[in-house]
Amino acid sequence: MRARVVLEVARTTFREFWRSPEAVFWTYGFPVLMAVVLGFAFQPGALPPVPVAVVAGEGTGPVVASLRQEARLQVEAMSAAEADHALARGRVALLLRLDAGEPVLRTDPTRQEAELARLLVERTLRGSSSGSDATLRAEVEDRPGARYIDFLIPGLVGLNLLGAGMWGVGFNLVQMRTQHLLRRLAVTPMRRAEFLFGYLLGRFVLVVPESVAIASFGVLVWGVPCRGSVLAALLLATVGGFAFAGLGCLLASRTRTIEGIAGLMNLFQLPMWLLGGSFFDVDRLTGVMRWASEAMPLTHVNRALRDVMLEPGTLADVAMPLGILAGFAAVCFALAMRLFRWQ
Amino acid sequence: MTLRADVIDPGAGDGDAAIELVGLRKVYRKGKQTTVAVDGLDLRVERGEVFGLLGPNGAGKTTTIEICEGLTVPDSGRVRILGSQWRTGVDDAIRARIGVCLQETKFHEKATVRETLQLFRSFFATGRSLDEVLDLVSLREKADARQSTLSGGQRQRLAVATALVGTPELLFLDEPTTGLDPQSRRQLWDVVRAFQDRSGTVVLTTHYMDEAQQLCDRVGIVDKGKVIALGTPDELIRSLDAEHFVEVDFAKEANGSLDAAPFAALPDVAAVAREGSHVVLTVRSVHTALPAMLAMASAQNLPIAGLATRHATLEDVFVHLTGRHLRDEGKP
Ligand SMILES: Nc1ncnc2c1ncn2[C@@H]1O[C@H](COP(=O)(O)OP(=O)(O)OP(=O)(O)O)[C@@H](O)[C@H]1O
Ligand SMILES: [Mg+2]
Repeated sequence: MRARVVLEVARTTFREFWRSPEAVFWTYGFPVLMAVVLGFAFQPGALPPVPVAVVAGEGTGPVVASLRQEARLQVEAMSAAEADHALARGRVALLLRLDAGEPVLRTDPTRQEAELARLLVERTLRGSSSGSDATLRAEVEDRPGARYIDFLIPGLVGLNLLGAGMWGVGFNLVQMRTQHLLRRLAVTPMRRAEFLFGYLLGRFVLVVPESVAIASFGVLVWGVPCRGSVLAALLLATVGGFAFAGLGCLLASRTRTIEGIAGLMNLFQLPMWLLGGSFFDVDRLTGVMRWASEAMPLTHVNRALRDVMLEPGTLADVAMPLGILAGFAAVCFALAMRLFRWQ
Repeated sequence: MTLRADVIDPGAGDGDAAIELVGLRKVYRKGKQTTVAVDGLDLRVERGEVFGLLGPNGAGKTTTIEICEGLTVPDSGRVRILGSQWRTGVDDAIRARIGVCLQETKFHEKATVRETLQLFRSFFATGRSLDEVLDLVSLREKADARQSTLSGGQRQRLAVATALVGTPELLFLDEPTTGLDPQSRRQLWDVVRAFQDRSGTVVLTTHYMDEAQQLCDRVGIVDKGKVIALGTPDELIRSLDAEHFVEVDFAKEANGSLDAAPFAALPDVAAVAREGSHVVLTVRSVHTALPAMLAMASAQNLPIAGLATRHATLEDVFVHLTGRHLRDEGKP
């Protein structure tokens, strides 16, 4: 491989990208924008009160009055039919009616709020009847690291690597093929490895800085912690990016049309958006979903990034995912090199 | 290794020629449809000559050239380029010695002319300076213009320039002047001739008869995947039974009484063709056939509205051989 050729290909590739403002925005600006918007959307704050319906009738006045003492409940008195409808629609988490003077609590156990509503209602009613309920001391957990935004930022870094790696690398390769540029290059004494390596370099220069930008944004603006090894995080971004670039290269190695590559990309990206652990914790998944999730490079990128950012993870702690990702990248590139067609 | 193959294989050439093609065949299959693009084509291009492939759309010119460039693998047949064969481990060495201008290529849209040339220049160990190449194709003023802002002709010249940045011994130009204005075409002819002067070999395809006649040392006429005629432009034209044409437009009112058949009996007239009041005589010599034709026309009382004579072109050679015109859209 001749360094001069690799650098020249990289330079051309980079220039082509850098001189297309739209491409720069969608590849690199968009993920940052998403971090801002989602950050605002999931800003840490107190949970809203839990809505509860009381079926209005004889003797419900005191019950309603005492429940209203509890600030975390939002109590509404309504008719039996109305209350039933509200519960069925999920507008209230709990329905209370008096059956021969005794309160009966009705909830949908599949809803998360249901248990909270039941506990609050039970405690409030018991406390008002006995008047001797010991007040438990409560503490609020508000350290950074446990909030959703803390979970989200590493996930967005992962998504950015996925997008920049796959779209950035795969899409343009196919475009160059459709415009016969690849076959023109193929009749020069430039070698396949020189081209692919230079091309990757050119597309890749901005991927790690971009990850750093998103992560820094999270740290500076949302106070997301970065407790572990910065070196490990950088390495993860690089190796993770290469894993996705490898996948992009592989998908683009023979695809002949823009539509074809767009379809293939979506086929691989959509499941990763859903099950790759960027937006929710995939460790709670079971069965096939869990299995599928573990097979995705994004899952390993995200988990390792969180280990490094949210916990004091060291390079040694993420050696295993780094190895998995490097292996994945190597296999993809090897296959892509074998399958690659200039035309 | 190649040497041994030469010895045991009587079909292998002597390696002196720039290009040797023997029994070349390429079939494209798509579903049930098969297209025979190249059908047993033989060709030998000598070093130092400008060789033109002439033929109608779909004749197989591009396929043949791309087989020579190593881009397309033939189904059967032998290919030797500058004495070497593709896919014998010397591909990059061959590529270093050829320059290619494909029929259609879009380069990096955002790259300037100079940047594009610089990229291609980096692939070759030796080659011309960028300024030299820019001057060769007269793109110096556009050196810093992006590809996306170039006109069609300027893009075409850039494509030719990318073929010249190395030090090619053999140049493949697939329709290099299509879409160029007459001045740019002549400029490009000069580039080709200058290249030839430095003992370079050129293979080009074209649809322009004048280009083939003036620029090419030899021409191969290709039809349906075969070379149906081969020689210098003069040889090909002289191979026609008669190489001059007398075209007469009789006045419209003579249309009814016009009978062109008797013209065939005139001295030195080889053939007569008639389309309405337009009659074309193929003649061996104009100075004997023309007075005889005029005399017969006035004897028959046929008023003449227009008269022209012209020398045969390669187009006529093609029509003579196939009964069809080179270009589907009619006469060039
Ligand atoms: N990749 C391909 N797949 C299928 N058929 C093809 C392919 N390339 C060429 N052909 C067919 O092979 C035949 C020869 O094509 P070719 O491009 O060699 O013609 P050409 O002489 O260069 O024509 P033109 O003057 O229009 O450039 C045509 O019938 C064409 O349709
Ligand atoms: Mg062609």
